[in-house]
Amino acid sequence: MTDALLDVRDLSIHFRSGAREVQVTRKVSFTIAPGEVVGLVGESGCGKTVTGLALMGLLPRGRSRVTGNIFLGGEDFAAMSPRQMRRVRGRRISMIFQEPMSALDPVFTIGEQISETLRAHRDVSVGEARARAIEALTQVGIPEPELRYDAYPHQLSGGMRQRAMIAIALVCEPQLLIADEPTTALDVTVQAQIVEVLGGLCARLGMAMLFITHDLGLVAETCSRLVTMYAGEVVEEGHIDDVLVRPRHPYSSGLLRSLPALAQRKATLPAIPGRVPTVAEMPAGCRFRPRCAHARSVCEDPQSLVDSGNGHVRCCRQEELVLPGALRGEVAA
Amino acid sequence: MRTATAVPIITAHEVGIHFPVAGGRTLRAVDGVSLEVHRGETFGVIGESGSGKTTLGRALVCLERPAAGRVLHDGDDPYRLSAAALRRHRRDFQVVFQDPNAALDPRMTILRSVREPLDVAGELPRAERTRLALEMIERVGLNPEFADRYPHELSGGQKQRVCIARVLTLRPALIVCDEAVAALDVSIQADILNLLADLQREFGLTYVFITHNLGVVAHISDRIAVMYLGKIVELAATELIEARPLHPYTRALLSAEPVALPSHMRSHQRIVLHGELPSPVSPPSGCRFRTRCPMAVTRCMQDVPAWREVEPEHFCACHFAEDVGDAIVPQRPGGTP
Repeated sequence: MTDALLDVRDLSIHFRSGAREVQVTRKVSFTIAPGEVVGLVGESGCGKTVTGLALMGLLPRGRSRVTGNIFLGGEDFAAMSPRQMRRVRGRRISMIFQEPMSALDPVFTIGEQISETLRAHRDVSVGEARARAIEALTQVGIPEPELRYDAYPHQLSGGMRQRAMIAIALVCEPQLLIADEPTTALDVTVQAQIVEVLGGLCARLGMAMLFITHDLGLVAETCSRLVTMYAGEVVEEGHIDDVLVRPRHPYSSGLLRSLPALAQRKATLPAIPGRVPTVAEMPAGCRFRPRCAHARSVCEDPQSLVDSGNGHVRCCRQEELVLPGALRGEVAA
Repeated sequence: MRTATAVPIITAHEVGIHFPVAGGRTLRAVDGVSLEVHRGETFGVIGESGSGKTTLGRALVCLERPAAGRVLHDGDDPYRLSAAALRRHRRDFQVVFQDPNAALDPRMTILRSVREPLDVAGELPRAERTRLALEMIERVGLNPEFADRYPHELSGGQKQRVCIARVLTLRPALIVCDEAVAALDVSIQADILNLLADLQREFGLTYVFITHNLGVVAHISDRIAVMYLGKIVELAATELIEARPLHPYTRALLSAEPVALPSHMRSHQRIVLHGELPSPVSPPSGCRFRTRCPMAVTRCMQDVPAWREVEPEHFCACHFAEDVGDAIVPQRPGGTP
C-alpha cells in the first residue's frame, strides 16, 4: 500500500465526558489511492462523520482522543500539532458538509469566503484571489460568477450554496476531499447536478474523494471502492461492483437488501432487525451479531478485518456464507 | 379492490390552495389539481421540495381549505358539515408526518400520546381507551414496556411506530403519509414500509404516500402522481410510470435517482436537468417545466399543456407526451415483475 494517497491505520476515536471516556470508533483502517473516489457507508451512529472529522483534525482537542495514524502523502496528520494541521487543512485536505447553510458564514459574501481560504494558504494578492475565486465559482457551475461573488449565502438556493461550499473546498486544489452527505439535503435533480460537478472536478483535478453517505445508490454511481462501517468498525472494504454483486459481510448485504428500489414491488423488504448499538450496549465479539441472521457461537469471539482476496471483511463466516447482493436471486444465479 | 362504479374515497376537482405573500401577491402552492383516490389503494405523490405535495396532502384531509375547486370525501363535500360533524369526520382521515420528534409531545408518555386521539374523541371509558392504546402499541411492533417511557428514550424508528399507532387508534379509513420514512435509516425504513403494508392489509387502509424518494414510492404505490410547481404533470399506475414515462420531468426524475447496481447493469443515460425549481409566486408562462425541460420549444412558452389521458389510464400534461413515451426510457431493476 505504498502508492496510497491516504493511509488510515488503526484509527480509534474516544470521546471524554468528565472522567469517563467512550470509544466511538475502533481501529479503523482503509486507504485511498490518488484520484480515487471511495464511498464510506453505514447507518447513522456508525462513526462515518467522526472519522471524516478526525481526518480533518476537527475533533475538539480537549474532549476527544485520537489514536492511530493518518498518513496523507507520507505525513502523519494524526501526529500533527493544531498549528501544523491548520497549514494543511483546506490546502491538502478539504471537507464539505451536509448542510451548506450552517457551514457557510452568513455575514460574509461567498466570494470573500473563497478568497479567504485561498489567501490563508497561498501568497496571492487580493485581486488575484478574487479572480481565482470567480474561476472556482465557474468551475462548480454557478451562473454569473462575477455577480455571485458578492452574494451572501442566504441569497442562494440550497444547490447553489452547496456549489459555493465545493468552490471553497477546492480553491486550493487539495489532494483529498471529504464529502460528508453533500447531497442529502438536496432534491434528487439538484443532487444529480452536484454529483456531476464533484465527479467532473475529481477527474479534472486528479483529486481523491472520500464520499460519506448512507445512500448506496449514490455510492454505486460515484465511487470505485466502498468501505462499510458498522458500530465504529470497518466491516467490509472492496471494489464497488464486487460488493454490490457479492457482499461478504452480512451487514453490507442487509443494507442492500433493505433498499426498496431493488426489491420486487410490494414484496416484504428484508429489513435488518434491531438497530445500531450505542456505546453502552456494545456486544462482545462480533458487533453485528445481535442483528445478524447468520450468527453462530463462533461470532461471540472478537472479529478481525481479514483479506478476502479482493477486499477486506470482518466476518469469521465469510468463507462459507453466500450472501445476496443488489441483484435479485434469479438474476445473480 | 376497486370497481369502476365505486365512489372514490377522495375526489379532488381543480383544487387550488393559495397563500398570500409579501407585496400583495399570491403563492399558488397547489394550482388546479384533479385526482381520485380509490378505497384500498396506495396513491403515491412524488415531487421535489416546493412542488406543493405536502400542501396537497393537507388539502385532501381538510387541513387546508381550497381557495378554488372542491375536495370530496366519498362523493360528499366535508365543508358542508357542521363544525362538530367535520371534527368527527376528520377521524377517518389521518396524517403521519416526517419528523416523529416534532409530532410527539416530549412531556407525554408514549401511552398518553397514543391514547390522546381517543381521549379527545371522549367516547369510551378510560380503561377501554388505555386498553385500545396498548393494543395498538403492540400491534405496531413495540414492546408494551414502552408505554410508560418518553419519546427521548426511543429511537427514530420506534418513535415513527408510535406516530403510526396513535393515528390507528381512531381506525381511520385513510392515512396521508407525508415523508413518513424520509428521516429513517434504510434498514429502519424497510421495517416501517413493511409495517405499513401489513396494516393496510389488516385494516383495509387507503394511503396517500407523499415522498421525494422514487424507490420508496414505486415500491409501495399502486398509482403515482408526479407533481411539479403546484401541478400534477403525470398520473398513472406505477408500472406505467416506470416503464413508459410520458412527461419529460418524470423521465428526468427516474434517471436522476441513483440505483445501487454494478456499473455494467446501469444502462440508462442520466438526464441532468439544468437550474432549479422556479419560484411558485411567479411560475413560468405556458408549461411550468419549460425552463428546465430539454425538449422545450416556443409553443411550450405560450400554451399551457392540457391535462389529458394520453394512453388508457395514463394522464399527462405535456404537448409532446407521445414523443416522450416513444423515446428509450430508463429501466429500473425491481419495478415491474
